[in-house]
Amino acid sequence: MTAEILNNIFAQDEKDILQEVMNIAFGQASAELAEVIDIFVILSVPDIQVLQGSDLPGYLCRELQTSGTVNIIEQNFLGKFAGQALLIFPSGAEKDLLTLFNQDQEFINNDIDMDTLERETLIEVGNILIGACIGKIAELLADVVTYDPPRLMAKDLCLEDCNKSPVAPDSFVISIRTVFRFEEQNVEGYLFLITNQKSIDWLKKALFAFLESFG
Amino acid sequence: MLKSILIVDDSPVARMIMKKCLPTDHGLTIYEASNGQEGVERYFSHKPDLTFMDLTMPVMDGFQALSTIKQRDPDAVIIVATADIQEKVLSRVTTLGALHTIKKPPSKEALKDALERATQALKH
Repeated sequence: MTAEILNNIFAQDEKDILQEVMNIAFGQASAELAEVIDIFVILSVPDIQVLQGSDLPGYLCRELQTSGTVNIIEQNFLGKFAGQALLIFPSGAEKDLLTLFNQDQEFINNDIDMDTLERETLIEVGNILIGACIGKIAELLADVVTYDPPRLMAKDLCLEDCNKSPVAPDSFVISIRTVFRFEEQNVEGYLFLITNQKSIDWLKKALFAFLESFG
Repeated sequence: MLKSILIVDDSPVARMIMKKCLPTDHGLTIYEASNGQEGVERYFSHKPDLTFMDLTMPVMDGFQALSTIKQRDPDAVIIVATADIQEKVLSRVTTLGALHTIKKPPSKEALKDALERATQALKH
């Protein structure tokens, strides 16, 4: 189903260019993230699918069937390539992330409760990852994007209970599945870019302009 | 003067970009491989003067391919092409024997510099 939709939206050459742009964007984002958070980061080669908004809940259920519940961080981005970015981690990942980012226990001694800390960690990780990935994609495609503040859209959301798609049924969803590896810990995450026909049309032109820029 | 180059990258677009950025007046023979294992095989069947090696690839990644080639042929001239230029990555590929690393997407200037480095390495 997803392959059919992908083939309908992107021709094979467009898909190949999109994949390479994402590879480069994720590679460069890894390097910048490592610099920002001072932790060795590996983002695996992103697996890209294009879905319709109405298929998103079913896709998530199939992909994350072992984990059950998820946390979703949402951030809107605005530019010629515009849309909504959803970063999805299985529930529990926030504890691993907090451990990684707070190895000296600096925050634990403060008065902030653990729920707030974990929620803020998710939002901040979302802000960094979404900003790095979208920013790199925009840079490679000669676009400039701005962002709304990220927010925790859902905490411990049970996918099986999620009958309604969190996005408009007729929207296009570019699903980018990757594994975020931080030092010794692997945290699997999914980045979804929800966009519209206008942005897809612009994206196709930008992909070919990217390729032509190499002479 | 370099006569042959092997480009190891799983992305056909990345290989195309690399070829577009290479100088056209050198009469270079270009070989291609779409993963690390194929890269190792192509290396030993063609013995190119220079190999450009991506790092993140299916079947066998670029770290392993680099290590395998250098163990069997310490004189192999291999330049890593990657978007991820974290210090730990640079340090690891240097330890494994890479001559140099270029950032993806490559510029014509970066590739020209890479070819000059490879030419110097072949002279020694």
